[in-house]
Amino acid sequence: MTQKCSTDKSRILQTVSLIAIASAMLSLQAVGQTISDKLPVLDLDKPIRMNFSGNWEKDFARSDKWEDELSRRMTIRQGNAALQRSGIGLRGGPSISLGNISLNKPRRRQANLLDLARLSEYMNRFSTVEIFQDRNEIRVERKGEAPLICSMETGPTEVFSSQHGAEICGWDRQQLVFEIALPDGLYVIQRLSVSSDSQNLRFITSVSSNGSAPFNLTQVFNKYQAPIDEYNCIQTITRGRSCSLRIPLN
Amino acid sequence: MTLYKSNQYITFIILITLGACSQTRLPTIDIEPIRPSVGDVELNHVSQPPPSNLQIDVAINVFDVRVDESEALEFGEWIFTEIRHNESYYLPYVLRNTLLEANQWGAVRVLPSNDPSVDLQIKGSVLASDGKQIVLHVIATDSAGRVWLNQEYADIAIESDFPADTRYSQGSPFDSTTFVEPFQDIYNQISNSLVEFRQNLTEQQIINLKRISQMVYATDLAPESFQRNLIKDGESQLLSLVSLPAKEDPMIERVNDMRVRHHLFIDTVDEYYASLFEKMQPAYVLWRKYSFERINEELESRSIPYDYQDYGRSGRYLTLTQRYDRYRWSKIFEMEYQDISAGFNNEVAPAILTLNEEVHGLSGTMEEQYIQWRRILRQLFGLEAQTPEQM
Repeated sequence: MTQKCSTDKSRILQTVSLIAIASAMLSLQAVGQTISDKLPVLDLDKPIRMNFSGNWEKDFARSDKWEDELSRRMTIRQGNAALQRSGIGLRGGPSISLGNISLNKPRRRQANLLDLARLSEYMNRFSTVEIFQDRNEIRVERKGEAPLICSMETGPTEVFSSQHGAEICGWDRQQLVFEIALPDGLYVIQRLSVSSDSQNLRFITSVSSNGSAPFNLTQVFNKYQAPIDEYNCIQTITRGRSCSLRIPLN
Repeated sequence: MTLYKSNQYITFIILITLGACSQTRLPTIDIEPIRPSVGDVELNHVSQPPPSNLQIDVAINVFDVRVDESEALEFGEWIFTEIRHNESYYLPYVLRNTLLEANQWGAVRVLPSNDPSVDLQIKGSVLASDGKQIVLHVIATDSAGRVWLNQEYADIAIESDFPADTRYSQGSPFDSTTFVEPFQDIYNQISNSLVEFRQNLTEQQIINLKRISQMVYATDLAPESFQRNLIKDGESQLLSLVSLPAKEDPMIERVNDMRVRHHLFIDTVDEYYASLFEKMQPAYVLWRKYSFERINEELESRSIPYDYQDYGRSGRYLTLTQRYDRYRWSKIFEMEYQDISAGFNNEVAPAILTLNEEVHGLSGTMEEQYIQWRRILRQLFGLEAQTPEQM
């Protein structure tokens, strides 16, 4: 009787301890789940991009001068024309004309190379660039120009559209590309790439008109440490830009 | 790599299309057609409110925001999605003020979710909202389950809705007492529709409705004690009274006590929404004016085809730079509008944070605090209902 009682007691104890262990495991699992819920989750679907962020200043020595680039292009063109004259056709046939009407001339008016070159210079007058980048968006700020903003998705993404032009952006591997279509066939591509050590930025502007060969202008920028802004500013609607003095961490 | 190639292909197609269009006019995003407006609506208001036993208590839920999935995915649209979320607190308060001005109702409160203690529950969804138009879907249901309204309302603003003095400056700051809501007609229409429905109810129907509300609240607190007093019609799904507990019933007295305490709580919640409304109003009014001006300018510019006679189509340097500048400035203008819109969100963020921290001892958003409160009341009722022997 006593033995039976002690066996029963031990069975009960066993059951109770099993339940306790099970509930402890369950609560541990729950705690684990809560902790894992709070941890930031790395979104692996988001592509990883090079780091463009920071302040950049133009390296005039390494950047293309539009006159030099134009001159180089003109030399190539003259060489091609000379080859054509000597009977070595590079593309298309000889020009066919009827009276003073050229039959195989492109139908749409193309801007000449000099004007495209000057336009690309006009578009690249800024000498510093500030880039903000996070996991979702990249924003390229240039003084006097509208910011170039793109998402980190491969794209293409429509950024802006009005009767004066449309802009799309996207990523070509690690290069950030903006394509702008302006009225009457004027077409601009801006391509940004950064060196592997994130110290040099290449900003290539290609301008073409109605399918003409583009004029490319490469600008090189070096990273520099801009002085830390003393003020922390946010845009508000009733007070405009509202700034407060940044409190140093120490 | 393959993905990029396919993207390159898509880019090519888009740009080829743009190139083709550039011969005449660049493609534009279609502006959503504006729905028929409610027009000019006078608020149906009375000088003498109904007798207190016939006053219907109204709760307006914080509005729901329906954001089109494609809209939310558009670049930069998240700013406007956030604005829509912020205004979901603002717009119900305008409706609340309109109902109070009509002077035809009992208490009118803005609450985070459905409340079992009120007679009439109003839910609204913001289908579209900017400076030019507002489209709301409103559903009003009483405690018996009768649907008073289930309708879409739209209103459009005109130039006179945004008078010159709404461009506030330090010299002429925003004054809420003289401000006239540009979309007041839509709220007047909703209020009038509710009044119209109520006028079709007999006095006895309103008294019954108030009794049903009392029993719905009692059932919410102690379903096992009170749910037998209500019955749901199988066909109409409407609640009706089977019986009423005696007036001296200690349980119903406790329920009434709880209801009073609950009303004090929801009055406080409503005051927090009032405070948020007041803080948000100057910024929201200003943002809407900017939005109105921008939409008007965009509509105007889109109605005029790109004029090569004016802008010229020579390929010379001057024409090319002017073409680029026009594009550059139109983009800068658009970006500034986005910054201003983000400025509205920046400005109201602290007020929304304050709202969600208001009720001391409770945590989470206002909605979560409200749920916690109702749970506490139920537990309190359970404790009070226990006899000393049970305790």
